[in-house]
Amino acid sequence: MAKVKIATDWLAACAGCHMSLLDIDDRIVKLLELVEFTSSPITDLKHPPKEGVTVGILTGAISNTHNIEVAKQMRERCQILIAVGDCATFGGIVASRNLVGTEAALRRAYLETESTVDGVIPDSPELGKPLDRVTGVGDVVKVDLFIPGCPPRADALFYALSELLAGRVPVVLPPEHFVYD
Amino acid sequence: MAMVNLTINGQKVSAPAGSTVLQAARLANIDIPTLCDHPALAPIGACRMCLVEVKGQRTLQPACTFPIAEGMEVQTESQPVTDARKFVLDLLFAERNHYCMYCEMSGDCELQALGYRYGIDHWVYPTYTKRFPVDASRKYFLMDHNRCILCRRCVRACSELVANHTLGVRQRGAASMIQADMDVPFGQSTCVSCGTCLQVCPTGALVDKRSAFMGRDIQTQHIQSTCAQCSIGCGMEIVTRDGNVLRIEGDWNAPVNAGLLCQKGRFDPLYDARPRITKPLVRKNGVLKEVDWDTAVQIVVQALKDTNAKDWGVLTTTYATNEALYLLDKLFRQELGVTNVGLLNDVAPKMVEKANGSLADVNNSDIILLVGANPASEQPVASFFIKRALNKGARLIVVDDQENGLAAFASMNLGMAEVEKAIEFAQRATNPVVLYGAGVTSEAARALQKLSGKAAFVALEPGVNTRAAAALGLNSGFDPSASKALYVLLGEQNWNGELVKKDAFVIVQASYQSPLTERADVVLPMAIWAERTGTVTNTEGRIQKVNKAVEPKGEAKPDWEILSLLASKMGKKIGTSLDEVSAHAAQAIHPS
Repeated sequence: MAKVKIATDWLAACAGCHMSLLDIDDRIVKLLELVEFTSSPITDLKHPPKEGVTVGILTGAISNTHNIEVAKQMRERCQILIAVGDCATFGGIVASRNLVGTEAALRRAYLETESTVDGVIPDSPELGKPLDRVTGVGDVVKVDLFIPGCPPRADALFYALSELLAGRVPVVLPPEHFVYD
Repeated sequence: MAMVNLTINGQKVSAPAGSTVLQAARLANIDIPTLCDHPALAPIGACRMCLVEVKGQRTLQPACTFPIAEGMEVQTESQPVTDARKFVLDLLFAERNHYCMYCEMSGDCELQALGYRYGIDHWVYPTYTKRFPVDASRKYFLMDHNRCILCRRCVRACSELVANHTLGVRQRGAASMIQADMDVPFGQSTCVSCGTCLQVCPTGALVDKRSAFMGRDIQTQHIQSTCAQCSIGCGMEIVTRDGNVLRIEGDWNAPVNAGLLCQKGRFDPLYDARPRITKPLVRKNGVLKEVDWDTAVQIVVQALKDTNAKDWGVLTTTYATNEALYLLDKLFRQELGVTNVGLLNDVAPKMVEKANGSLADVNNSDIILLVGANPASEQPVASFFIKRALNKGARLIVVDDQENGLAAFASMNLGMAEVEKAIEFAQRATNPVVLYGAGVTSEAARALQKLSGKAAFVALEPGVNTRAAAALGLNSGFDPSASKALYVLLGEQNWNGELVKKDAFVIVQASYQSPLTERADVVLPMAIWAERTGTVTNTEGRIQKVNKAVEPKGEAKPDWEILSLLASKMGKKIGTSLDEVSAHAAQAIHPS
């Protein structure tokens, strides 16, 4: 049987959700017999392949225009999209920026911190433009499964992938894997 | 009682007439989720979490306020019901800041638990981008409006249970805000910091500063005990983790207070910064030196043998268990024959032959005479009971020559000499209650006898275990000038020892360092309220258990154990096990 292709990427995230994915531990060896990770932010290939994958995993919030592009590309190239972590599902820690406004957050971070000398707010055209409001991935593209948690426990991710490999798409994770923190 | 029959989820259920659907469901162990409902508070149907389908009703109905009727058919988890609850949760989560990952309450939050139950795994509606204030102006707990869901439990606790009416809601709809008084910072409001609102808050909106982020409820132990900070004897739970006291909560099932506590009981004991005495100390060459228990006890025993009983004086705090007071009385007064024995606080005078009233009578009274007592500062929970009765229409007459904390709530404020006037009103009432303290003059006490048989008399004893101490006869009047040697059971009380003769030999049994322990010849380290097991007697005469929640600090021992140790070293057999001493103490306090 051909391996199931999985692509992952992160948006405005801290990498904790990907760490949690690695926390699957030795079970990942078993998993790799059944799936192929085509691309991820921690491997050489960063973009999901053009020919598409079965499962796309996104972590992190939608915080700038680049995040929207990444999310849309992943959505186009995968059959089942999973939003992993509190940032991807709710906006998470990144969304606390909404409480002060993007402009004030940028000013504080790049110009006003106690250790800043000659600070500049980055505005290179290569960079995504920060959005006025941070949201979860579901606000930009259709998401098939939300796995909240900060980060979601490795067991929750393993459970979700196992279910998908068994041909089932969980609607909501069962209580033992469902956490907000 | 008339029973009403209905079916809930097809199950036949009977409940007393007048019950709500929620009450009927709980009787039948059928779970209906709630958020604004609290067993101790009147239901208001605000949050709509308990919506159920009632056959024949046009819309879903809140189970917490909907009365049952014969033959009613209720569905609690049908599709329309769960859809509606999810919708309610989506709306609740969309307002303010309900990100759990950095919230103190995460793991114990009722809103979070419902989010889990109904699988809220992403926001359906855009969340607020507005920041709400955090009010940390109170010493003990803060209000984070960002976490508030406007369930009004705090408002109802403040008005229904404590009758303090500090909290209210301003504005309407999404602009609603919980506020204190006319929108002043909590720290400047009429708040009495009893913490009842803190105890009923379902989310992380009200946060205890001291125990914040110190662990989830599941990681803690709750030890039931009795508050020993005043003579009311409120039931409380001491919440500990790994041998540390985190906080104190009111015990909802306690007979006296039914969940209420006050600042003195809930917060103050946890903020006691006085240095503890952790080892026995003995004065050698003018300096206090740490010694082991055997040495200290040996010196005390020798002193007791060397000095004549008539030269001894015994003083005790009422911050002590029945067991300690019993042993103190037994050892010094009865075995050694010491007669110069006294208490470190006053005692309410004996008013009627057998005190017939209980604090519960206050709730059903139509007129309350508060005579020579100041519960607002001395027994705050009793003042809550009084104010609750006033809410229901009772009248308060304060008779006091001192400034009284409840004077502003009284229909009439009288001096002690005008007590007759108050008695006249009481005689015309149906259920008068006389609450009296140590401030009653003997003339007033005599005059109040006229109400015996008519009024319920309830003493508000000063101190803590004063009723037990008085029953044991420990308040026989102490003359400091008559004692060459003095045994002071000081416990946790602050007393500077101003009456003690300069050259007296002083033995102090104490928990904290104080001017008296500095001056003492022997200091025996004593366990504090959270470190001892025993019983205390409240002002109504109710004997209740105090339980050890954490180990005594250092080499400190529980109050009664120290006295038991002294007695056995002197060869007096007056009880060695706690059960034995408790039984003797109960017998001595309530001779049957």
